Amino acid sequence: MTPTSLALTVNGKPRAVEDVPASERLLDTVRWRLGLKGTKEGCRSGDCGACTVLVDGVSMLSCLTLTHEVEGTSLTTIEGMADDPVGREVQNAFERAGALQCGYCTPGFVVALAGLLRERGRSATVDELLSDLGGNLCRCTGYLSIARAVALLRPEAP
Amino acid sequence: MPPFDFVTPSSVDAAIAELRTGAPGEVTVLAGGTDVMFDLDGGKSAPRRVVSLRRLPWRTVDWNGPVLTVGSTLPLRSLERDPELPRQHPGLLQAIRAVGSVQLRHRATLGGNLGRAAPASDLIPVLLALDAEVDVVGPTGARSLSVDQFIRGARSTALASGELIRSVRFPEPRPSAYLWQRVRPANDISQIAVAAAYSPSDHRWRLAVGGIPPRASRVPEAEEMLGTATPTEAATRAAAERAARHLTIVTDRRASEEYRRHLVETLVERAVRAVMVSRPELR
Repeated sequence: MTPTSLALTVNGKPRAVEDVPASERLLDTVRWRLGLKGTKEGCRSGDCGACTVLVDGVSMLSCLTLTHEVEGTSLTTIEGMADDPVGREVQNAFERAGALQCGYCTPGFVVALAGLLRERGRSATVDELLSDLGGNLCRCTGYLSIARAVALLRPEAP
Repeated sequence: MPPFDFVTPSSVDAAIAELRTGAPGEVTVLAGGTDVMFDLDGGKSAPRRVVSLRRLPWRTVDWNGPVLTVGSTLPLRSLERDPELPRQHPGLLQAIRAVGSVQLRHRATLGGNLGRAAPASDLIPVLLALDAEVDVVGPTGARSLSVDQFIRGARSTALASGELIRSVRFPEPRPSAYLWQRVRPANDISQIAVAAAYSPSDHRWRLAVGGIPPRASRVPEAEEMLGTATPTEAATRAAAERAARHLTIVTDRRASEEYRRHLVETLVERAVRAVMVSRPELR
């Protein structure tokens, strides 16, 4: 198949992506064609969560997703978080908790957590959110401050 | 990744026709893609054509009386979030939550897990314990197979050329549990996993053990020792010991044979107890 163009909504704006080979991963489209370098390549095998993006509001691993599989969807990356009320809330919590060391895993954590809050609404407890973040790795092992950021998003929880 | 053609047929007939456009190995089926991507990238397979199932009308959950039918391309996360699942099939819920991560389960599917037949699948043991049936469609019509018939071995299934998994059926709600041991809770492969279920219709137990290459299997010798009603502590321990002794278990890079046998014994005992605790009528 010759590479074909496809339409996506990227962080709220319609974008046409030209000449995408069938074998291209969404991760590479986001970083190299759309130029959105906030999405990180960690393991490239679905183990670390650094490449998490939202597809129609749902968190997915962009390294294990073919770009053509998400044709026509609405894509939100870390760059779109500041314009999203839930995303902004998560970013604020990470800032207040100082929930980063080297920062490489941070975009994946923020996007994954924003996706969870959208999916679960206000019903999820801190423990459930932490368990559902199990697919995100922090190689600095800065998990305590990340857990504090999650707790800040749940002030009513014990 | 080597180049390939990519098609997204929008009807079942069109999808089946696409499967027959090449010799085996030349056409690859893509459901969620979370496992296929490794083969495509690692060079294990270099198909000429990849057939995506995303436009097929199979992202469904159907509760009909006691029978649960799950469409093969439904993302696992959608089944996990079904409000009926915790009460009707607690073991299936536990097994789904053992697969990858939330992000992965937003794409991964039940059909993909079966079709790929990974030796350490976290779903196949519980499908065996729940007597799930696999509904298949193909050029000559539809047929149904038990999971035991469907899974032939490591990465090997009974699917014939041109056939697709349409749905998976669970015949009745069962008190059930799924327990595993591995290094990391998320995104890891179980060293041993045990599914236990009690059938309220035939009053018999099912025990299935996964994490043992080439494939998960039932342990009828141990099931019989649990009897037809509430097993005693002694019977539960005896069944667990029997399962640990009876199974063919190997040492590989994930765990030694000795450790795995120890895990089988411990997890069988705990899984049977977990099922009984979940249902007061079994105590």
